[in-house]
Amino acid sequence: MYCYVYDEALQDRRFERELAQIETRLTDLGIAGKIARLALFRDANELIRDEIRGGVTTVVAVGNDMTLRRVLDAVGERKTVVALLPIGPQGAMTELLGMPTGVAACDVLSARIIESLDVGEVNGKRFLQSVHIEERADFVVDHGTYTTTPQRKASVEVRNFAAPDDAGMQSPIDERLSLILRVPKFSLFSKKASIGIVPFSTLRISYETNVTALVDGERLNGKDFVFRVIPNALRVVTGKTRKF
Amino acid sequence: MAKGTGTETIIAHGVRLDGDLVAEGDLIIEGEVHGTVKTQGDLRIGEQALVEADIEAGNALVSGAIRGNILVRGKLELLPSSSMTGDVVTDVLAIGPGAQMNGCISMGADATPKGKKRVAETPEE
Repeated sequence: MYCYVYDEALQDRRFERELAQIETRLTDLGIAGKIARLALFRDANELIRDEIRGGVTTVVAVGNDMTLRRVLDAVGERKTVVALLPIGPQGAMTELLGMPTGVAACDVLSARIIESLDVGEVNGKRFLQSVHIEERADFVVDHGTYTTTPQRKASVEVRNFAAPDDAGMQSPIDERLSLILRVPKFSLFSKKASIGIVPFSTLRISYETNVTALVDGERLNGKDFVFRVIPNALRVVTGKTRKF
Repeated sequence: MAKGTGTETIIAHGVRLDGDLVAEGDLIIEGEVHGTVKTQGDLRIGEQALVEADIEAGNALVSGAIRGNILVRGKLELLPSSSMTGDVVTDVLAIGPGAQMNGCISMGADATPKGKKRVAETPEE
């Protein structure tokens, strides 16, 4: 049974026609289901958990990356299948998951190609994409059998699944997270970074003073961050053009 | 600047590592490493790298400085900018013009390590 969680931004009239087309197509494909609408003062977690308790087996985030993020928070450790039906301005997840935007996504949903993705966890908070911490020089990374320290300011990224960039592409199904350290190199003509990448299962990063980490865009403050990978934790509907 | 391919470990320039590193795939060192290094895959040591460690690798391409013993099951290539102080055990060895090599070399199927002690730990006479 499907449940479609509509992002609150979709209340805007400019999405009315597209939503109607999508609902018609879902009905034609036989995958129509309950519709739940996120709202500013409504608890998304409680809303979605109620639906799962009611027998929903697939929760579809209708919106963008942030909508998917809220659905993932609510689904938690349950083995409910999650999907993204992209409408409106999109982030990176649409392309990474191989989901077309709008009505075309309905057919991909119907095909139901499900992948089990790894999920990262930092201090008990789950993330699907990455954690970013600003440039600092006062931290130590404890990998268990060895430690790494920057010799000058470096930014930290712990990545599970993100668009390819200067650090390449990391797989969300390799049962690993990647620690990416970027150490700026300054020259007269450009500012580049020396990039280090270390795959890991668990590690701890300790700072001398409080820092703010961005966990899939949400703030998390602290001095010590304990990371671990949760392999195959999330079942997601993907398209054939997925980037992994 | 090394770019990740998703299957390798890269120690960036400007980063120091202390302890026992066991890499899951290929390994690129452009920073400082102190301890031991092991990989079944390929090892590349960059020109600005400093490695004070005993090393085991499948193949190795060195353009930086190593102080320690190295065991390479396949090919070890020392590029002209490299500096090696320690014993080498390898199957195939290539030393470029200008590379610095100070230590014992053992090669071929009968090669055995000359001892596990790191050069850095040897008491000065």
